Amino acid sequence: MSKPLKDHICEEQLFSSIFRTHSKNLHDFLYYKFGSQLNPQDKMQEAFVKLWENCAKIPQNKAKSFLFTTANNLMLNEYAHQKVVLRHRMIQPKHTTNINPEFILEEKEYKAKLEKAIAGLTEAQRVAFLMNRVEGKRFKEIAQLLDISTKAVEKRIYGALKKLRQDIDEL
Amino acid sequence: MNKEDLIQKWLDHNLNPRELEAFKQLKDYPNLIKLDQGLIGFKADTINEDDAFKNVLKSIDSLKKKPNKLFATLSKIAAILVIAFGIYFYTSTLDTTTYTIASQQKSIVLPDASQVQLNAVSTITFNKSNWKSSRNLVLHGEAYFKVAKGKKFDVKTNLGTVTVLGTQFNIKQRNDYFEVTCYEGKVAVNSKTKQIILLPGDTFLIIDGNYIATEKENVSHPSWLINKSTFRSIPFREVIAEFERQYNVSVEFSDFDGSQNFTGDFIHNDIETALKSITLPLQLKYSKTDNIIRLKRE
Repeated sequence: MSKPLKDHICEEQLFSSIFRTHSKNLHDFLYYKFGSQLNPQDKMQEAFVKLWENCAKIPQNKAKSFLFTTANNLMLNEYAHQKVVLRHRMIQPKHTTNINPEFILEEKEYKAKLEKAIAGLTEAQRVAFLMNRVEGKRFKEIAQLLDISTKAVEKRIYGALKKLRQDIDEL
Repeated sequence: MNKEDLIQKWLDHNLNPRELEAFKQLKDYPNLIKLDQGLIGFKADTINEDDAFKNVLKSIDSLKKKPNKLFATLSKIAAILVIAFGIYFYTSTLDTTTYTIASQQKSIVLPDASQVQLNAVSTITFNKSNWKSSRNLVLHGEAYFKVAKGKKFDVKTNLGTVTVLGTQFNIKQRNDYFEVTCYEGKVAVNSKTKQIILLPGDTFLIIDGNYIATEKENVSHPSWLINKSTFRSIPFREVIAEFERQYNVSVEFSDFDGSQNFTGDFIHNDIETALKSITLPLQLKYSKTDNIIRLKRE
């Protein structure tokens, strides 16, 4: 019976909880899809502001898709179809004890290859794959976020893995 | 379990311990783990949720303020409109006054298309907004009326009220001189001392409170409309007063009192001819300096 109360999200507490649930996923989605050039955090925040403006019209269970669609559109407005290249940050290896220069060089080469290979993936593959590998999300979660079937996610991710390995071998 | 299934399950983070062992035995394992390690470098920037949420709330607050601003502007506009409308309403219900100075005539059309011709040094006042319900106007001086048919039409003067229903008439009220001439229709005159109904050609004349009977006149409009003042047995001082109004001069005389009657006319556009017209019949001489005219017996 309490359902109608939660039917719209103009209440600040509910809005806050929606923010906590979706802000990171939304930001990550934007990042993997469009890269960091177009400032995914700004777009994420803007999408939430828009959600608030329309809070009376949007039921709670539609909030997620509204956020993702809105943020995606905000990005597309700016996105001039340039190729998205995700930057690889050099991560300090855990075992810093016995690194030889050869190993470092090898690592560097591998990362460059990886960067190129990732850039070669389709947008759909890249988003699903990185959410899965980097953010550690399961197929089902990604499927929910992107509003597609688990099977489709599986296909994208597996396809991405195959293509990556192939490209890395060739490079 | 074949290799592909294992890799799929690995990808889905869904290997049980036994499967994990099997997965580790795959010859692809080192390769996959290396790839997986490498991918960590692509991790999205971490965001500070609290800061981000504060930013969102801040933008929302600034949005909330906008409607207030809009409301403020709207209320300003509304206030201006109210004031403007108030002024309009106030002024539109005010009386309209038209006046003429010496040697000037004016023609006025009233809201019901009645026409008024105002002679020199005269004032007329009426109210536009309730003209439909009451056709009332106040006259000081002389005016010729051509009244459109309709309800009662009242002209108030200091010396009496003239009531008509749709007609043409002339009213002249100067100091203690009150003259009403009817040219068409019927005119009711209500002065302090006398009530009378005038028919076309009739003239009602009161000078210094005395009613003076006059003959029927057969003209269609007062002569001043064609720039001529006509008098029939009118005291000479009234003639001179009219002369002063038409030419904007002052006329002085000392060796007669101006009470003798004058019959005749003078025109409004030639002062020499006009002076002759009023002096010759009474055998007077005139001299003119600037705007002062002196009359003397011959």
